[in-house]
Amino acid sequence: MLTGRNDGYGGDFAARFFRTLQFNHEQLTARAIPHEIVFIEWAPPSNNPLLLEQIFNALPELDRHVCSWYVVDPEYQSALSLNPRLEYLEFLAKNVGVRRARGEYILTSNCDVYLGRRVLDALEQRALEPRVLYRAPRHDLNLPENLHDVSWEMLEDPRNLAGPAHVLKRPYMGSGTGDFVMIDREAFHEIRGFNEVYRVARIGIDRNVIVKALASGLDVRDIGGPVYHQNHEGSYRLNPKAYEGRENEAPWGDRRWHSSGVSYVNPPTWGLANAPVRSIADQCFYVDFSWEAVPPLVDLRGILLPAARAGLPAPGQYVRKR
Amino acid sequence: MKTLVLRLLAAFGLAPAGSVAAQARLVADAKAGALAWKTKTAEAMERAKSLEAEVKRQAQTIHRLETTTEKLRQRQDEIERLLRVRLVEAEQALGLAREHLMAIDTKLDILEGAANVLDARTRPVISKQHDGVRAPV
Repeated sequence: MLTGRNDGYGGDFAARFFRTLQFNHEQLTARAIPHEIVFIEWAPPSNNPLLLEQIFNALPELDRHVCSWYVVDPEYQSALSLNPRLEYLEFLAKNVGVRRARGEYILTSNCDVYLGRRVLDALEQRALEPRVLYRAPRHDLNLPENLHDVSWEMLEDPRNLAGPAHVLKRPYMGSGTGDFVMIDREAFHEIRGFNEVYRVARIGIDRNVIVKALASGLDVRDIGGPVYHQNHEGSYRLNPKAYEGRENEAPWGDRRWHSSGVSYVNPPTWGLANAPVRSIADQCFYVDFSWEAVPPLVDLRGILLPAARAGLPAPGQYVRKR
Repeated sequence: MKTLVLRLLAAFGLAPAGSVAAQARLVADAKAGALAWKTKTAEAMERAKSLEAEVKRQAQTIHRLETTTEKLRQRQDEIERLLRVRLVEAEQALGLAREHLMAIDTKLDILEGAANVLDARTRPVISKQHDGVRAPV
């Protein structure tokens, strides 16, 4: 489950995305791992062509029938926004996909994340268990920007690592969480996806889903190997303190919000369930705007304290923000 | 000769007057000494009795103090136990308060965001209305 749009995020977004999708699709196909690629093209800018219009030309070998492509009306971005600095409500977009994905297990990832061998092994061996949120550490790589083909040698060469390889630590197993969250479909629906009540920040929403999962009695585990991410300009990871002292101006929101300390309950209509969807091409859909699908601007009852679980530490420390 | 006379007198239980007087003085002295010792013994016994009573009293005091000390120790243990319970309760209450603060802080973020969004949405409308009112007919 991937989301994106043709807005040049981090440089040449489309090229990065196509390259990554090609690699992952090839690896999944080579191992005969049945999969569906759900792509949410969220609020695409009107002045650029849709990714949908380019993808099948850029990757002619991509089987259209393993894809489900949803273009989401841009009006949702402004109707849902609680922070005009966030130009892309990434996790609302992911929820649209989670809601509609048909696989037994749903992996939410990002468009520039390459699946590692151990991840593919786990998928191939069908070693996944229900009611477990699987995480994979992210290895940031310095790769040439004008890269055409990606190989295992490039991904696994330690000399390409942009920094020390991350190790996931219990209980949250944070660090690049948004790049790899995998749960069985039923449990993902049970927790109602990512937090869409707190739409003030984009940063930390991925960590918050771990809190929600733990509070809901799900286990959180390392799947056994890394995923790889190609560093690019504009990445939060490259300079997380860029907006220190003026957090309210950050394009990802205030990173100090209590993402480790609070849980949430999304409305039953999470993932724009009530939005009218029409087919625009084979396996391609347009999610039309409707106020019926828009959750309330404020839903304070949707923010609550996470249930403590035996053997797990108390939720995060209170940090004075202002 | 004198010695023979003295021996002869002694055989009849007699002694020279000077010697008898000397012996009598010795006996009187011994009696006076005995009396003095008796008095001293009586005093000493009195003193011993008094000290015995004092020891008894002190022993009672010590016993009383030991009992009090034991009670105080028990009380101290109880207070320490209660303080530990209170500390745990206070820590729990503090943790809960912090968690509630987190939730409130998060909700305030949402409210602030919503207020800003609504302000941005309504400001142009209100501004237009004002402009319309002020516009010359």
